[in-house]
Amino acid sequence: MTIYSFYIFDRHTECIYSKTWIPSEAPGGLTTTTTNGAVSADRRTSTKAGDDAKLIFGTVFSLRNMVRKLGGDDDAFISYRTGQYKLHFYETASNLRFVMLTDTATLSMRNVLHQIYINLWVEYVVKNPLSPVEHRGGDGVKNELFEYGLDQFIRGLM
Amino acid sequence: MTVFALIIINKAGGLVYNRSFSDGGLNKLSTNDYLVLAGTFHGVHAITTRLNPVKTPPTAPAPVPGMLTRPEPPSGLEVLESENFRLQCFNTMTGTKFLLFTDTTQANVDVTMRRVYEMYSDYVMKNPFYQLEMPIRCDMFDRKLSSYIREINNR
Repeated sequence: MTIYSFYIFDRHTECIYSKTWIPSEAPGGLTTTTTNGAVSADRRTSTKAGDDAKLIFGTVFSLRNMVRKLGGDDDAFISYRTGQYKLHFYETASNLRFVMLTDTATLSMRNVLHQIYINLWVEYVVKNPLSPVEHRGGDGVKNELFEYGLDQFIRGLM
Repeated sequence: MTVFALIIINKAGGLVYNRSFSDGGLNKLSTNDYLVLAGTFHGVHAITTRLNPVKTPPTAPAPVPGMLTRPEPPSGLEVLESENFRLQCFNTMTGTKFLLFTDTTQANVDVTMRRVYEMYSDYVMKNPFYQLEMPIRCDMFDRKLSSYIREINNR
């Protein structure tokens, strides 16, 4: 199982957290990139990642609406698969959206996204007294415990 | 095992065929909503192709010297899963999209899709009165499709 990237979108449709795990050329090696809003040293990669986040949001938003229209209001969009990758989606009651891109052979990751929400987001971001209510530009999500926990959790799965 | 509906979208994103086979399962939408849905899906399909995070491997050497090869282009959305239904999309070489809505437990949708495509080729494309890229109004196609899907739904 390979996990390519992970995104969190808030209820204002903004990408508040994104992280990519790209398998590097060296066997067993992994390179990670994290972007919070527009803060990044490498201009070019940050624009690319920002564009990707916008495209992903547009896609899951349209598909979620399509699924709701056809399947009824209680229906929920879970995942889609192309020939190259699979996208998993989980939306909380507060319209926080978790998206994960994996390889095509991966089974449903909905429970994994739910675990990330319960064990990492709620524990380290929501319960953090210094974290703002709204995460404009990724404020408060860029938190050592959350980032470390997420990285450990994802690496444990791979 | 149920096949809920079939939608055919032409290469420009226009809805050319829309048919539901079982009552329940999916909500009934107005014709306008189906047209919007077809257009939206066409756009989303193009975006899902571009989102490919996998780096394309270096091109394999040509089997015959001098022959040009190009890597397989990334495919767009193929299967979508929701809590209530499953959507299988088949994109033909010419860009026509077949969307088959089934229940979540339906197996062998590939086979069904292939058969539907064969029927489309036989009864729509070989119909001399059918105008390309226009809505499909072919009695023969309707009849054959109904009987084939009824057979699957009653299995």
